[in-house]
Amino acid sequence: MSLTSRDVTARYDELAELVVDVERRGPGDVALVAEAATLVAHEARLLDARRYDEWLAGWSDDAVLWVPMAPTHPAADQSLLLDDRRRLAERVRWRAEPSAWGQQPPSRTTRVVGSVEAWRSGDRVIVRSGLVLHEHRRARAQLLVGHQIHEFVDEASRCRTKILLLPQLSLGIRNPSFLL
Amino acid sequence: MTADHLTPEALHRLVEPHRVHRRIYTDPEIFELEQTRVFAASWSYVAHESEIPAPGDFTTTKVGGRPVVVTRDGDGAVHALLNRCSHRGALFTIESSGCAKRFTCPYHGWSFANDGRLVSLPFPQNHPVQDGDRSQFDLGRLAVAEYRGFVFATLHPDPEPLEEWLGPATEPFDHIVDRHPGGRLRVLPSPQQLEFDGNWKLAWDNAADGLHATFAHRSYNVLGSDADIDTVLARDPGRTPMVAKALGHGHMVVDQRPGIPDGPWSTMRAVPFREPLEEELVASGAGGDLDLATGSMVNLSLFPNLIFVGNQLLVVEPIAVDRTRLSAHLVLAPDAPAEIDLLRLRVDEDFISFGTPDDLDMFERVQQGLAIPEMEWIDVSRGLRDGPDVPAADGVVTGPITSEAPQRGYLARYRDLLTTEVITRVR
Repeated sequence: MSLTSRDVTARYDELAELVVDVERRGPGDVALVAEAATLVAHEARLLDARRYDEWLAGWSDDAVLWVPMAPTHPAADQSLLLDDRRRLAERVRWRAEPSAWGQQPPSRTTRVVGSVEAWRSGDRVIVRSGLVLHEHRRARAQLLVGHQIHEFVDEASRCRTKILLLPQLSLGIRNPSFLL
Repeated sequence: MTADHLTPEALHRLVEPHRVHRRIYTDPEIFELEQTRVFAASWSYVAHESEIPAPGDFTTTKVGGRPVVVTRDGDGAVHALLNRCSHRGALFTIESSGCAKRFTCPYHGWSFANDGRLVSLPFPQNHPVQDGDRSQFDLGRLAVAEYRGFVFATLHPDPEPLEEWLGPATEPFDHIVDRHPGGRLRVLPSPQQLEFDGNWKLAWDNAADGLHATFAHRSYNVLGSDADIDTVLARDPGRTPMVAKALGHGHMVVDQRPGIPDGPWSTMRAVPFREPLEEELVASGAGGDLDLATGSMVNLSLFPNLIFVGNQLLVVEPIAVDRTRLSAHLVLAPDAPAEIDLLRLRVDEDFISFGTPDDLDMFERVQQGLAIPEMEWIDVSRGLRDGPDVPAADGVVTGPITSEAPQRGYLARYRDLLTTEVITRVR
C-alpha cells in the first residue's frame, strides 16, 4: 500500500500528539511495566553493544525515529533527525563504512534507562522512560539526559515509534552521529 | 602598550599569501582581538526578518561574543541592541526569542522600549538622570542594515554601506533568495546546534573547500553510490566545471551548478517519506519545483559569520580559540507547494547525519595537529602554480574547485581586519 502526502502529515500529527498525550497521562499500568522495561532496556543494550542488525530487525515497516530540536511538530520546526526504516538502515550502513570518520573509531555509549511507565492503548504499548546517555569517543565524553517515548506494536513487540527528547540539544552538542 | 607579538606588524606576518601561521588558530590573545576587530567591527549576520515578523518580536544572538537582542519596534523598524541594562549591566532578557514592547530589567526595574530608549526607572527622584539627558541611559545600539530580509549589525564607528560590503556577493545572494517563490523565506525557530573543539576558521576554511568532499566525505558518497545516486560531492574535482570564487571582503562562493546538469534534486538520495510527496508534486504538475526541495548548490559564505549551504543558514559563532558553535537554521519556502517544505525538513537532516560528522572530526584533528609548536605553517597555496590570484574587473577571483583562492581571499580580508586597530562604538 503506497502512502500519500496526507498520510505523511497524519504521521507527523501522530508524533506531535504522542508527546503531548504521554505527558498528560496518569500513572502507568503496573502489570505492564516489567515487560515494557525489558523491551526498552533490551533496545538500549543492543545500541550500546552496537548490535545494529538485531536492533534494526526490531522495528516495524512503518517505523519512525524522531529526535526533535524542540518537541513541537515535525512539520513545524527542525529536528536533528526524523527517520523512516530506510534511513535507519542507512545509518547502520554508514557506521559500517571505514571512511565514516565521525564514527571511526565508534563512540562508546552507555544508556541508563529509568522511571519506566507503560500504558496499553488498543493493541499498542506506549512506554515513557528516563534516559541518561553517556558517550565517549577519542578521549572526550559527553552526557545527555532526557527521556524517550516508545510505541511497541504486534505480537513481536516491534518498535513503531521512538521519540528521543533531549533538551540539551538546544544548547549545542558535539558530533551527534552516535545518537539513535 | 601592545605586546610585541600583537602589534599590527607582528600580526601581519602571520598571514602570507601562500601560508598562514598556526597561531591564528591557537592563540587566545589573538582570539580576543578577533572578537572585536574581525567580528564586532565587521558586518555580522544577526537575524532574518521572518524571525521577527511582527512589531514587538525579538530574537537574540551574539556579535563578537557580545549578547545582542534584535527587535522590531512598533513602527516596524529593526534594531540591534546590546543585551545589557544600562544601570548595572545585567542581561535584561534571557529569552532566546519572544515578543515585548518593553524590556524591564529584573534586577532594579529599569525599563526600556524595544527601540532601546530608557522609558522609566523606579524611584527616579534621587537619581541624577532626573536633571540630565535620559538618552545617556538608553541601551547600547549597533548599526543595522538589511539586504533581502537578512539583518546585519556592526559596532564599527563608521561602517561601509552594507551593499558595498557585500559587493559581488549580491549576485549569488540574490540567486539564493530569488529561487524561493515570491522571494519569500521563512527561518524555523529551533536551529540544529553543533559545537566542535576547534577554531572558528576551520569552519571557514571548509566552507569553500571543493577538494575535501572527495576525501572527507567519502562515506557520504558511498551512501550515494549504494543508492545509485551521483551525489554532488562525488564529482571528480579535477574535471568538474564547478567553480570556486573569492568575492572580495572575505566572501566566498562555490558554484556547483555547472557540475550538475540534471539539477539539484538529481543529486539527492531518497529522504524519509520522499515518494508520496514527490508523486503528489508531479501529479499536480509541479514536478519542476522539486529542485527547490534541496539546496541552491550555490554555497555562499559572507565573512565572518554566515554560510549558506543546502537550505540552511549556518551561523558560525566563536566561543573560545579552540571551541566553535555552528547554528544551522533551516529556511523554508512558504510560497512553494507545501510538499516542498515537507521535503526540505527531511533533506535538512541528511548532510548533518552523514556529512557534517566527518567534517567535525576533521576540524578537531586539525586543531589537535596545530597544537604542535614546531610545525608552524599551514599551506594554502593550491592553485598558485597556475599563477597568482588575479581579480577580474569586479574584484572576483575565479578558479576550479581544487583552487584555494577562496581561502586566500578570506584570509587576506582577515589579515586586514586583524591588523586594523579600531575603536568599536555603541550608538
